[in-house]
Amino acid sequence: MITATNLNKHFKVYETKKGMMGSLASLFSAKHTLVKAVDDISFSIGEGEFVGYIGPNGAGKSTTIKMLSGILHPTSGSVAVGGLSPQKNRKDNARRIGIVFGQRTQLWWDLPLRDSFEILKAMYKVNDKDYNSFLKLYDDMLDIGKFIETPVRKLSLGQRMRGDLAAAMIHNPDVLFLDEPTIGLDVVAKTGIRAFLKELNENEKKTVLLTTHDMDDIEQLCRRVIVINHGRIILDGTLEEMRETIGLPSIMEVQYTSKPEVAAAAPLGLERLQWEDSKVIIHYDRSILSAPQLLKEVSSWGEPVDIQMKEPDIEDIIQKIY
Amino acid sequence: MKLYFILISGSLKSRMQYKMNFIFSMVSYGMIMAVDFIMLAAILRRFDDVKGWDLYEVGLLYSISSIAISLYRVIGAEVHDFERYMVNGEFDSLLIRPVSPLFLLLTRNIDLSRIGGAIQGLIIIAISVAGLMKTGKATLLLIAYLPVAVLTGLIICFAVGVLTAALAFWTEKIKDFQTFTLYAPFTAANYPMNIYPGLLKIIFFTVIPVAFMNYVPVMYLLQKGGEWWYLITPAAVAGVFLTFSLIMWHIGIKHYHSTGS
Repeated sequence: MITATNLNKHFKVYETKKGMMGSLASLFSAKHTLVKAVDDISFSIGEGEFVGYIGPNGAGKSTTIKMLSGILHPTSGSVAVGGLSPQKNRKDNARRIGIVFGQRTQLWWDLPLRDSFEILKAMYKVNDKDYNSFLKLYDDMLDIGKFIETPVRKLSLGQRMRGDLAAAMIHNPDVLFLDEPTIGLDVVAKTGIRAFLKELNENEKKTVLLTTHDMDDIEQLCRRVIVINHGRIILDGTLEEMRETIGLPSIMEVQYTSKPEVAAAAPLGLERLQWEDSKVIIHYDRSILSAPQLLKEVSSWGEPVDIQMKEPDIEDIIQKIY
Repeated sequence: MKLYFILISGSLKSRMQYKMNFIFSMVSYGMIMAVDFIMLAAILRRFDDVKGWDLYEVGLLYSISSIAISLYRVIGAEVHDFERYMVNGEFDSLLIRPVSPLFLLLTRNIDLSRIGGAIQGLIIIAISVAGLMKTGKATLLLIAYLPVAVLTGLIICFAVGVLTAALAFWTEKIKDFQTFTLYAPFTAANYPMNIYPGLLKIIFFTVIPVAFMNYVPVMYLLQKGGEWWYLITPAAVAGVFLTFSLIMWHIGIKHYHSTGS
């Protein structure tokens, strides 16, 4: 359904000078650095797959998605969605993909959500019958009806994201590209969106490519994970395979009343300790050592006053893959 | 075309959310235009003629040029403001739709507050034609040709606008270029081309062909020289220039860099 073959995207980054003459001069100046945003990537995603595409900031995730959606042209290599080149057949491709950028809404900011839907309906030439069943279906799944008459700028972030997701589905595309759809959302909103995406994939058989920083998104949604760093794929496999490689990296921060005494025999699954006075940051593998077990352990080290669970950074995960 | 109206009405509805701002900018542009007009009248009253063109004749040139650029600013508001789409990567949102990005751009906004310039131009056209009628210079052909001149002017202006916008794919910022490609040539075209030195004249006949929207046809229509085909060339030049600018626009899209996520 989605393929990338020896895909490259290089950007020339010029030193920009001020003013018009400066920008003209920098056009012709030889001074530039070549940034390989995407560096010889190949993958193939089958119909109905739900793939997590992860990596640190600037790894090339968005650049790949932008090439798949026809926004950017590859420096070399090619991409195809359903056999079509998004660059050569941009409009046809646009009709069969849905895109959500978590950072930027595609809705009409000052208009009620319904107006955005109506405009998109006309743009994608959706007939009345399909449009009405769309409204009904997405009211059921995302509860859109509650805020459909509200101007988009007055929606909460969670509502807006639901609106964006529905808007991306209005023309019933087979493929969905989601770029950080859960960014900035609270737990409840995230859970709702995950349930929706799961349903889309399982019941509606949509192929989904998801980029995220949230490891829980990956755990709960993706059967396959592609990890990229500095523009290169460093891991492409099932969720289980990734777990075997990196486990379930987790972080617990424990604040003690005084500097604790750590037992010499560390339990299995405890990977690394970081000390900040009387605070200890514990990196552990949740697939081996459960949080309650670890809690029992840490309370034997001293007297904890505060315990916080933290999500690991993507950067930490990348480190473990190497 | 139906889609154009759906999208435009969406944009207008958005603007109307901020009614005070809308009314205020309408009024302020109207005032700027009025001052501009008074200035022009004051200048022209001091001279009897500009290199063989009298007040009313210059008035024709002036109004064709100013209506053309005003209409461009109304319908091409976002083309004119295109660097915004480059600087913050907003152009992404136009490329994910199954519609031409230039078409979407045109529907993003129409700047009704700029319509004042076109109205002012119409008033000057009326005054000029009335003045020329008294001296018997205003032929039926001249009057019939005026809408054509305005339309060619609009197309040339739009083409220059698109060409300048296409520059943004490489340079990102275009505000500085617009002074040279749009404001200066269209202000220059307010007056007959024979007042300019050679190099400038060449530019206005080739690189930025503003001479064809008013000077060339009006010269023939006012019997100041030229041949009948002076009436045909403007449309041809506008067509060629528009095609060229659309080609550059499409090449530019291939160079689109977008921004970081």
